[in-house]
Amino acid sequence: MGEERKRILEMLADGKITPADAETLLDALGSAEEPSTAPAPGASWPKGPSASGAPKFMYVKVTGKDTVDVKVPLSLLRAGLKLTSLIPSQAMDEINRSMSEHGMSIDFNNLKPEDIEEIITSLREMEVNVQAANGDNVRVFCA
Amino acid sequence: MVLPPAFINVRVRSAETPDVHVPLPLFLLWPLLLVLALLALLFTLLADFVLLLAGARYHRFSLLLLHSLRLLADVRGTSARINRNRKLVDIEIH
Repeated sequence: MGEERKRILEMLADGKITPADAETLLDALGSAEEPSTAPAPGASWPKGPSASGAPKFMYVKVTGKDTVDVKVPLSLLRAGLKLTSLIPSQAMDEINRSMSEHGMSIDFNNLKPEDIEEIITSLREMEVNVQAANGDNVRVFCA
Repeated sequence: MVLPPAFINVRVRSAETPDVHVPLPLFLLWPLLLVLALLALLFTLLADFVLLLAGARYHRFSLLLLHSLRLLADVRGTSARINRNRKLVDIEIH
């Protein structure tokens, strides 16, 4: 049993905290603790956007009750954007229409291959930080 | 030349249960992928040639196929780590 957990239970036994307080503390401790054999998720990952150079990965970090870390290589984005210039125009129109219906009005026909590197370099300055009402935090950045 | 992903490593770690590590050898599918890609490339080259002769504006199916394969290869390096209920699931594509 962890030292903190033991101390919480001792405080509960001594009547210094209520069972509800103990539950809250144990929950908080549980979400903060990692399995004993596991390294901290994303321990080797950057904490934020890189200061210089072209970013190599896009990171999505969700923290809260559960923790989710996703790392996607930007070369995948680069290859995907290049692919859009090769899609037949009829299929592209259909994709644009479908995306527009789902609230994403992006016309990939306007995307030129020479703009791709500039877009990827600009992603270095991008950081999305969403604080949900339930306490979950979602961060998206490139580094 | 960028090769397609060779392994998917799936690790499940928990304080209560023994660690599970499953390396899925995707490279075993490479020969099958190569055969399918070559067959598809043959077909698309033929289609592009016919479209070109017919004067069609679009005749780049072969390039589309090659770039799609490149997209598949660029999945390498993707990873996801999920920590839920004191259980850590780690998925890495190499």
